[in-house]
Amino acid sequence: MAETNSTADSKDIVLRSSIDRSLRHPVMFFFACGSVWMVLSTILGLVASAKKHSPEFLTCFSWLDAGKVDAAHMSAMIYGWGLQAAFGIIIWLMARLSRKECTAAGVILWAGHVWNAVVFYGIIRIMMGEGSGITYMEFPSEVWPLLLICYTIITIWSLIQFQVRDAGHVYVSQWYLIAGLLWFPWILVTAWVFVFLMDGHPLMVAGVAAWFKGTIFTLFFLPVALGSSYYLAPKVTGRPVYSYNIALFGFWSLAFLGPWAGMQKLVGAPVPQFIPYAGAASMILILIPAIAVGYNIIKTVIGNTEVIEESPSLRFTAAGIVLFLVFGVLSVALHTVPALKLTQFSYTGYGFDILGLYGVFSLCAFGAVYFIVPRITRREWLSRRFIKWHFFHSLYGVSSVVICAVVGGLSQGQGIEDLSQPFGTMAERASQIGWGVTIAWAFLLFANLFFCLHLFLMWARLGRRSSHPTLLNAHHPASPHGPEGEVDNYSTASS
Amino acid sequence: MTFKAFIIGLLVTFGIPWLLLVVVPYSTMRSLDPIEYGKNSDISGAFVPKRDGRIKEGSRIFGQEGCALCHTQVIRPTYAGNDVHRGEWAGLRKSSSVDEDTRRETIAQDYQQEDVAHIGQSRIGPDLSNFGRRLEHYLRINKSSRTPEKWSLMHLYNPKGVPRYEVPESGAQIIASWKSVCPPKPGLFDKVAVNGAGYGNLPVDIEGGIGIRPTDRARALVSYLVSLKKDTLGNPLPDALNFNPKAPQSEE
Repeated sequence: MAETNSTADSKDIVLRSSIDRSLRHPVMFFFACGSVWMVLSTILGLVASAKKHSPEFLTCFSWLDAGKVDAAHMSAMIYGWGLQAAFGIIIWLMARLSRKECTAAGVILWAGHVWNAVVFYGIIRIMMGEGSGITYMEFPSEVWPLLLICYTIITIWSLIQFQVRDAGHVYVSQWYLIAGLLWFPWILVTAWVFVFLMDGHPLMVAGVAAWFKGTIFTLFFLPVALGSSYYLAPKVTGRPVYSYNIALFGFWSLAFLGPWAGMQKLVGAPVPQFIPYAGAASMILILIPAIAVGYNIIKTVIGNTEVIEESPSLRFTAAGIVLFLVFGVLSVALHTVPALKLTQFSYTGYGFDILGLYGVFSLCAFGAVYFIVPRITRREWLSRRFIKWHFFHSLYGVSSVVICAVVGGLSQGQGIEDLSQPFGTMAERASQIGWGVTIAWAFLLFANLFFCLHLFLMWARLGRRSSHPTLLNAHHPASPHGPEGEVDNYSTASS
Repeated sequence: MTFKAFIIGLLVTFGIPWLLLVVVPYSTMRSLDPIEYGKNSDISGAFVPKRDGRIKEGSRIFGQEGCALCHTQVIRPTYAGNDVHRGEWAGLRKSSSVDEDTRRETIAQDYQQEDVAHIGQSRIGPDLSNFGRRLEHYLRINKSSRTPEKWSLMHLYNPKGVPRYEVPESGAQIIASWKSVCPPKPGLFDKVAVNGAGYGNLPVDIEGGIGIRPTDRARALVSYLVSLKKDTLGNPLPDALNFNPKAPQSEE
């Protein structure tokens, strides 16, 4: 890796390690808490999915009712895991790229604790049946401003670092991160004011909530994932980004299309007719940034296939980028006018959301975690086996969720449209595909348990003391690990 | 690309859709024109669907309990889906027991008094836009002694326990079936000690003097569910909404 090249001058190494040191507590905190939320979200996803085909499952706990547990599952994934993973990535990457130490680690850490408490409170309220009752913004009203305050305290330092950096090159990653940092509060404030504070028409309230859900994916989670990929791909392979112009085009096409997303959920509802179709059109056109970014990053890494095999960070990132291309293609197929009839109110939407949040964002975020954690803990990952399990189970799990939900959802939607069939048959058909989704969540639970465990071992500073990174290919001729097995055996025994 | 150009770019690319999609439609939708009866109609004034019941409260509980995960509340126009033709989702069809076809698409006024329109996420269960009207109709033609409220409470307590009503003449079958995958909601009911029947309790088997009594939340929710009607107050639909208009009189 470029990082360990002896050519890097020693001053640079000192600066980098002091940046890493200044951020080690908050970043580790965000990743570790995020991974716990991810495990929780996976368990809730399992229960939510099981309830769709076995409604009597866990009926004795009314706080686990189908609708509530589904809302809690998505909220835990978005606010517990997604945003916290994004915080860790943003504050570390911005500090590294601006070449400034973080001077506010204590404040960030404090705000991070409050963030977790607020998300926990929100999810408890949802499960007690005291949420807002607004689809896609289920947290009660008071949670949103608290989240915004925490967000500001956590991320403002990254903007300051960017402002006071020594003048120089602005990296592609920084465009994405700065843009995401500015878009998120704008979206959140808009949604909170229009949904909770003002007294709007019920339909527009629902519409703004749907827009919120669509845009925090396209304008926050996607930029963070892509920013991280644009950092890791060149960094790990040691090659520059393939094309600056394609990167520029990919960024601005996303910036142009992203803000329109979300309201396609309202097709056919009595709102101004262009609104849902603008949303659907932007989701179709999202293939353009997907191709631009995918082509650029794949071209950057393509010569070094062995690096993709070896490096956990790059393998996760490359998988995330490939799934972004899949996301783009699927988005075209699912948002055309004839397809919308089938997908608008079927399982398909869920599968598509999971593809975005888990397949694209989370895989890229896992890649970043595997890169960042050894640098801030100054320990290497304990077990390549854990990483491999995490990778393959994540990939198989997310593919199964998406395939079951999308294909099953299309057949369900087709059935609802087909008037020769009674509705009951379709309702039954929908509940059958739920089995596949439930099993897939079990895979993801397995993957994330190992990820969580591995991360906590690293947090406890039980990582390998070595100057050689943990690579995935055990039989690589130039393996820097020395005799195989010692550390791996220790870690599996201790787990 | 300078930093200034970058920020201006972000402001423009985000600001325009923000205004066009969110701010302007939100403002215009706050004051909608009523739907007038046409000039040809005998009735003057505007068409406003009637709703009564504990709508605001019930609607909130509907959302909080997560009903919108599996039940939608929108009848899409035919360009966006076949909802109008699906069973009695959109209104009652003309038949021997129904004088007028009242099927219609959803209009913005259908959500009046609610905080948020429960468009819904998926259709694991049937659309509920017209739930109250069709339940009332089914109970009447089946000569059931249950009120719509009682039937709905029974459904919430145990979706598989209430009888299914089949209405062969219209082809509609579903209010709730024995195979329903709707999860029971025992959390909306209290178990109370009773002597004898116990007023307000559900007519379910009582063992050991324990009765099932709906909580206030359950009553508010049911009041809301029963209010979900494509009601015309006995008036014909305005021409703009009428899905099945009368054939025009031939001019003489």
